[in-house]
Amino acid sequence: MNAKFFPILLVLGLSQSVQGVQSLESELRKNGETVVAVFEEQRAVLQKSSAVIRDGRKELAYGVVISADGYILTKASEIAKISAISVTVDEAKFDNAKVVATDAAWDVALLKIEAQGLQPIQYASSSDIPQGTWVVANGATSGSRRRALPGIISAKPREIPAHGGAALGVVLKSKTKALEIEEVNEKSGAQEAGLQKGDVIVMIDGKNVSKIEEMAALMKDKKAGSTVKVTYKRAGKEDTVDVRLAAKGELFAQKSRNDQMSGDYSSRRTGFPRVIQHDVLGNKESTGGPLLNLEGLCIGMNIARADRAQSFAIPVEELKEIAARLMK
Amino acid sequence: MTRRFPFLLLALAPVMAMAAPDRPYINDKKAPDSRKDLDVIQKALATVLPKAREATVCIDLGEGSGSGVIVSPEGLVLTAAHVATGVGKELTVIMEDGKKLKAESMGLVSTTDCAMVRILEKGTYPFVSMDREDTTKLGDWVFSLGHSGGFDKDRGSVVRLGRLVRTADSTIQSDCTLIGGDSGGPLFDLEGRLIGIHSRVGEVLSQNMHVPMREFIAHWEEMTRGEFVGEGPFAKKPEKGKGFFGLATEARPEGGLKVTKVGRESPAEKAGFKEGDVILKLNGKPLATREELQEMIKEMSPGDKMALDLLKGGKAETLEMKLGER
Repeated sequence: MNAKFFPILLVLGLSQSVQGVQSLESELRKNGETVVAVFEEQRAVLQKSSAVIRDGRKELAYGVVISADGYILTKASEIAKISAISVTVDEAKFDNAKVVATDAAWDVALLKIEAQGLQPIQYASSSDIPQGTWVVANGATSGSRRRALPGIISAKPREIPAHGGAALGVVLKSKTKALEIEEVNEKSGAQEAGLQKGDVIVMIDGKNVSKIEEMAALMKDKKAGSTVKVTYKRAGKEDTVDVRLAAKGELFAQKSRNDQMSGDYSSRRTGFPRVIQHDVLGNKESTGGPLLNLEGLCIGMNIARADRAQSFAIPVEELKEIAARLMK
Repeated sequence: MTRRFPFLLLALAPVMAMAAPDRPYINDKKAPDSRKDLDVIQKALATVLPKAREATVCIDLGEGSGSGVIVSPEGLVLTAAHVATGVGKELTVIMEDGKKLKAESMGLVSTTDCAMVRILEKGTYPFVSMDREDTTKLGDWVFSLGHSGGFDKDRGSVVRLGRLVRTADSTIQSDCTLIGGDSGGPLFDLEGRLIGIHSRVGEVLSQNMHVPMREFIAHWEEMTRGEFVGEGPFAKKPEKGKGFFGLATEARPEGGLKVTKVGRESPAEKAGFKEGDVILKLNGKPLATREELQEMIKEMSPGDKMALDLLKGGKAETLEMKLGER
């Protein structure tokens, strides 16, 4: 993702009334009503077995209903720090959703609502389907009605390494000998764990560290989303906390030209062990829901809108394993 | 980012060719309305995608990359003018499997964003056919390929499906989303024929602009000859006097110029110049003073070829190199 490229030029203010110009009515375009209508069977599955996750009235993400009694998977980073999560399945709204467990490596949260008789998603036997195959995902909801958006599988399944490597999210003082924290990054694992300016890091995963190089060597093979044990000194007292590692590139985000033309994209979009890629024209909120094949079976869960042209989903094989693990 | 550039159009409306007999029926339907219709699109993609993908390449110029597509077995590549950036530029073509090939830009049309590139290494390359008769119509189902965000071997080029949503004389628009790195990549119809080259995008996701094949066909000969056509926004002609050599010299009493300093990473250094080398002639003209060399370079443009007669360690040598850009 770091590679340089010739930016596609962004053009604004296209002239509309030029001779010889023909334009296709919007309902006939890929996301248009008339085209989307043919995906009614898959939309019906989304209506029953996907969830809309809201903070008040604001749509945050979608979810995958995985049990009749109200267990739902969603994208963890999109709902982090929301105290009152409301969940809509079909037409029923549940205001008391609880986060039961999260998997930081995959950025998946397991929610529980007090419900009965839900229709859980049906898993496809494999996510190994050829490029160019139709897939369907959640689009913006209109009222109580789910919307389906079509796309195709568009690249090879693969790992998406953490952009820039994994980091605690602290800036260390450069001039002191000890590993003293100068600054804690917003939305970082270090901030969540309560690390503060002035704390001195003395151990990572039980190993003594006193130099930046030692710490860098210990951090080198860590994955974004995993956690490390950080032992630190504050006012003479030592304490140990679990710190979630974030992708460095997302902590110190600088918008590239491609980001500028992508509209909104997921804040966590790298550091996934394996994804399948598709081209559904969604937005940041359209993650967390199921990715369906034309049979209406779940081939994965949408986990990131990476940019204007690329969206990622967790493959069904890994999704089943994550669900089983979080349900324990 | 908000800069608006002239949207150039020819005065004449395009002449719509008759539909080819093998045109997929789905293109003449308002929208797919059955599972069968969807399967037709999916099956067409599955059939033509492997070949289309094989012929789609990444074009690497060192300071950036774009995409392109091979249209002849000898390795003729079509791309965008803003990827080629100029005529006679050295660049690298990267195949889908990661194989790197030396290549050179040929001509370009700077007004509409067309360019040609030639793979210099001999071989028989996978290629796609072009829709020369201009048979595509508004609403046709199309797919795009390109190395979005740069070459990634684990990922391969990225395929996107959409429809032709807008047509004008020198631009066609689809809802196959494009992003940086896709520039110069191919847009295909469902029969796997090349119908356009990716050029630019608008803010809305359905505004993805491609240069239609007819623009390439109209300027085919000029591009083959290596001409820089027009003075458009997509490529800038090299400017006289902007050339960069990157060395300092002093005149020798016996004639010729002794190199006293070679700039780091300069064109001179890349060409192998060392301190103490002697330049006797540039493009056949003997040099006696520094000013003579400076005057000659001032009359040249970046990318111009220089034929040099040298003394290296007392031995006569000839060298050909291109003038760099300041």
